[in-house]
Amino acid sequence: MTGTTPTGAASNRLTLDGETVAFEEGESLFELARRHGDAVSSLCFDDRLEPLGACRLCAVEVEGQARPVASCTTLAHAGMVVRTRTADLERHRRILTDLIVSENPTGAAIDSLRGSASQELAQLAGRYEADGRRFGGARSGASRADDANPMILRDYDHCISCYRCVRICSEQQGDDAISVGGRGFRTRITTEFDGLLADSACTFCGQCVQTCPTGALADRRALEHAETPGELAATRSICPYCGVGCSLDILTKGERIVGVRPAPDGPANEGALCVKGQFAWEWVQHPDRLTNPLVRKDGELVEASWDEALDRAAEGFREVAAAHGREAVYAVASGRAPHESAYTIQKLVRVCFQTNQIDNCSRS
Amino acid sequence: MRSADSDLIARWRAEPAPLLGLLHAFHERDGHLSDEALHAVAEGLRMSLADLYGTVEFYHHFSREAGGRDAPRVCGGPICKTRGSDALLAELDGASPMPCAGRCDEPIPVLCGGEVLVGTPGGGLRAAPTPLPPPNPDGLEECCFARVREAGRATLAGYGGSYRALARARELGGEALLSELDASGLVGRGGAGFSTARKWRAVREAAGGPKTIVCNADEGEPGCFKDRVLLDHDPHAVLEGMAVAAEVTGATRGFVYLRYEYPHTQAVLERAIEEARGELGEFELNVRRGAGAYICGEETSLLNSLEGAHPFPRNRPPFPVTHGFEGTPTAVNNVETLASVPPIVERGADWYAGLGLGKERGTKIISLSGDVRRPGNYEVPIGFSLTRLLFDWAGGPGDGRGLQAITMAGLSGGFLGPGDFDATLDEPCLKARGSFLGAGGVMVFDDRRDMVDVARQAMAFFADESCGKCFPCRIGTQRLTERLAGVAGPTQAEAWKAEVGAIGDTMSQLSACGLGIAAPLITESLLRLFPERVDEALARR
Repeated sequence: MTGTTPTGAASNRLTLDGETVAFEEGESLFELARRHGDAVSSLCFDDRLEPLGACRLCAVEVEGQARPVASCTTLAHAGMVVRTRTADLERHRRILTDLIVSENPTGAAIDSLRGSASQELAQLAGRYEADGRRFGGARSGASRADDANPMILRDYDHCISCYRCVRICSEQQGDDAISVGGRGFRTRITTEFDGLLADSACTFCGQCVQTCPTGALADRRALEHAETPGELAATRSICPYCGVGCSLDILTKGERIVGVRPAPDGPANEGALCVKGQFAWEWVQHPDRLTNPLVRKDGELVEASWDEALDRAAEGFREVAAAHGREAVYAVASGRAPHESAYTIQKLVRVCFQTNQIDNCSRS
Repeated sequence: MRSADSDLIARWRAEPAPLLGLLHAFHERDGHLSDEALHAVAEGLRMSLADLYGTVEFYHHFSREAGGRDAPRVCGGPICKTRGSDALLAELDGASPMPCAGRCDEPIPVLCGGEVLVGTPGGGLRAAPTPLPPPNPDGLEECCFARVREAGRATLAGYGGSYRALARARELGGEALLSELDASGLVGRGGAGFSTARKWRAVREAAGGPKTIVCNADEGEPGCFKDRVLLDHDPHAVLEGMAVAAEVTGATRGFVYLRYEYPHTQAVLERAIEEARGELGEFELNVRRGAGAYICGEETSLLNSLEGAHPFPRNRPPFPVTHGFEGTPTAVNNVETLASVPPIVERGADWYAGLGLGKERGTKIISLSGDVRRPGNYEVPIGFSLTRLLFDWAGGPGDGRGLQAITMAGLSGGFLGPGDFDATLDEPCLKARGSFLGAGGVMVFDDRRDMVDVARQAMAFFADESCGKCFPCRIGTQRLTERLAGVAGPTQAEAWKAEVGAIGDTMSQLSACGLGIAAPLITESLLRLFPERVDEALARR
């Protein structure tokens, strides 16, 4: 840190694993350790959420404290001496991971199409070689096979009660559609009266799906493509549905779109999407979609060549413009069209029709 | 919304901390909390219905089924189990078990709607007043119990007609009073043992307001029933303690957070508050009744419950002294701590400090129950001999029996064995024995008792009461219960002990609050004191 006085330097420094490091005002020990390149594990942390201190995996030793403290809920203070990697801590983290995996022994077999964070538990289990055989016993959580909504799979057999879904629904989305029911080992994620998501305040934004660290909440549309062959690839784009401009990644296998994910670094959305951006993409490759132009002949729509169709359209526009003036033409671009099409249609309307009567269905 | 519902909501919406009171109003009116009631409450208090549903479900006693509120609940605490609570449960139509209901010195308590009856299997149920503490066997000077046995003490007239300690506190002023309190050595008697003077000073000096005093009367620790006797027989001492706290800290509002299982006490307190209006001045006092949740005895969980939020404990810091009820500076004090304040103010720090033995200052109420001849609440000098309490005061075990173990701090301090009976009742001594005094509940088990099963019951209690927030407690209490019950885990003794020890060690180090930190003391002390009982239990499986 340059530009700080010696006094200033001392007032924002602490010892992290033997190194003197500077921290920022309001920074937690978890964030500080991550910034210094040696992140501690966590299953309940999400940058967008108030830290909960629930999973306790991020516990670190702070000199003078009787027990390890959760680094996500402990703010950095000048002069602290913090250790994140002692043998004791690693032993506790291994036991804790074994306990968590004992509830969720199939965690390693979770398809990554379930959601952005769905591999977090599997990765942790791999790191601590936890396979669910140690500390076996009852399992908590019961999947809601009865909730047949087409978008969000509620596979609570895999739930570890980190409450990221409940917190994101409340803190980020403001829907408060789900909550924590029960106590202790029998806690479960529930809507009011244990109902279906469709009957609740849920808006199917899918943020709960994307923050779930075990895949207990899963993107049902994407999961339909679990068996689709091909390498999974992601292409960054902007959601076309409205003017907010949410960044998203379009997931593909070969030539097929298999899902959409919000971009956590999207400046407009920071990992959020709404139901349309998240789940409404299947029409792209829907069998009902037109693949050839159609023109009406004797009252019937019949397939035609592009030349014939474009001639017919041009003729119609010319007749209208001649009879009623150029102001008689108004174009509405579809929110489902690619950005390139939206650009082209406004160019067509402005340059060819000489009118500024162009809009987009997402706005109009 | 029905107009009767709107009326209830309008009445409660104007009150501080309305949710619990409003839910109880519907619960009592309808005999359960219907879907319609929850819709009306969520709409009336502008809450998320999903949140409200989850929060209601968190508590033991809010019934969602018609007639559920009045269905009998039979205490299944550790001592009542030894007295046949399972048989009593089987005798009563529609009855369900509840955790320790804080009447371990009586026949088995059964909560029936708005009243608690007591009974034994085959003996029927009857109403019974809260037993007074037995006279101090050695005639030692007491603090909290000094006048509790006087007839009419629960009325303002019986209390002396006015709050004299509060008047003296006003004369002394906050600083002088805090010095006096500090010199007295009074620390939190709910178990945490934090200096009362330091807590009150922190609230006094904290910025922001309105400041709040909360009396923690959510006496949920199994084997603890001391707060009930103070509240039922000397409520003005507690209320005056709160008023002194308000005087010192500048608080203008106060709550008594009372456990659900003490319905009679709510009426006593409300009557006492009504009588004391003239004494309390600007200090606005209300009673809020819990709904059955052990974790709500943890102060930050209690504050969330009071605010109508999901009763998970909060992360600390910030502490309640700066960010308590509704984010304002709040002193949360135990009933016994508050009841100790008026005598200290009136008789001085030296008097109170001098009641302790050796280096210890003051007194502690011990709720003693189980296999002794004279169970009950005993106020002992801190530093008092455990042997003297168990054998001389309480009469020791029944004929031909020996004492096998006692618990400390209710269940939270784990077990002590006969080798520890030479201990003294103070934190330094008990800490050296791997335990702590805590809230002062001591349950006694004679040589008939299966200690592995007692440990299983204790751990099942902790598992059932774990709030579900932090992973080590939520999963750990479950896994330890399964191992004590023999339904999962290793069957070979060494592997079993290693696994139980490992889970307990991680729980005690990483859990977020006292529940998960203390629960493994049960298994740790079981393994330390009764390894051969564990071997026998495993061999039988």
